[in-house]
Amino acid sequence: MNRPVKDHEILSAVFAKMDVIALALAAGVLFSLALFLATAVLLLQSVPENYPVGPHLSALADYLPGYSVSWPGTLVGAFYGFFVGCVAGFVAAVYWNLAHYVALGVMLISAAELAD
Amino acid sequence: MGNYQNMQVANSNVDGVNLKLLHAAIRFNALMLGLTGGTIAAVVIYFATHASMARWGADSGNYLGLLAVFFPGYSVSSGGAWIGAFWAFVYAGLFSWLSYRLYGRVLGSRISELLLSAAPTDNPVLRPSIMRLHGASLGLAIGAMAGLGLFFSTTWLVVRGTAAESVHAALLANYIPGYSVSLLGGLVGGLGLFVFVFIGCQLLAAVYNKIVETRHK
Repeated sequence: MNRPVKDHEILSAVFAKMDVIALALAAGVLFSLALFLATAVLLLQSVPENYPVGPHLSALADYLPGYSVSWPGTLVGAFYGFFVGCVAGFVAAVYWNLAHYVALGVMLISAAELAD
Repeated sequence: MGNYQNMQVANSNVDGVNLKLLHAAIRFNALMLGLTGGTIAAVVIYFATHASMARWGADSGNYLGLLAVFFPGYSVSSGGAWIGAFWAFVYAGLFSWLSYRLYGRVLGSRISELLLSAAPTDNPVLRPSIMRLHGASLGLAIGAMAGLGLFFSTTWLVVRGTAAESVHAALLANYIPGYSVSLLGGLVGGLGLFVFVFIGCQLLAAVYNKIVETRHK
């Protein structure tokens, strides 16, 4: 007779909270690495002399002051990537948890109305 | 009772797991993730459009304006920001919703043992546990959706007859070897993106789970 236990576990998994700090840091690490590698890959490709390297990715400098497609730029990009990732992860986790709380509130109110 | 109905009844309880509850749970979380992804994307597009207008004025929209290829009616303008937000909500919401459906499908009846960081609390609704992420399932789900997304976007560029002019899309070949704005290139690109996203999701889940373990010992 293990169904109630399993049902309880499924409900626990569905309503489990996202760890806001953990998702913010994990997304920060991922974004940081992604922007570092995106810049480094362009720098490692051979281009003709006097040919601009990564003019499109360089346009990110409009939003990220100090960023450029260069080796020092990889570090600046990694820093910004971490910051942007942290903000994105934080917002996503908070929104996820909040959406669950709101949905739960609606369900509890509906259940209370039905009980009345 | 037909064979299919017999099979449904027989499958309604596998290893003590109430499949009806499990599927309802996956549908609920898919809706939550769809709303989360859609809303965040809509807000980002709305503010990115206004930021572009504030920064470049009449010259804005060189890159952001290219979104009109996929967002009918979009332009870098005040009205366009709302249209962009609508399409971003639709695309990102659908992407997130489908990703979670796939994620839940891959996790299956192991959902609780894979996602819970500790034993379930006595009241999972009012005192929820902390969620873990399952990297392989997450990678498969988001990777598949991202790969399909790139394939269909590329196909759209080919179908509308602007493949040769899509120089910005073609730049993806810098990162995904073999990609080009063609049907075959879209297929290769989709597979390549699947691999990158799968690796990214594994990394995200590993770091997230490690921090969760450290913080909730």
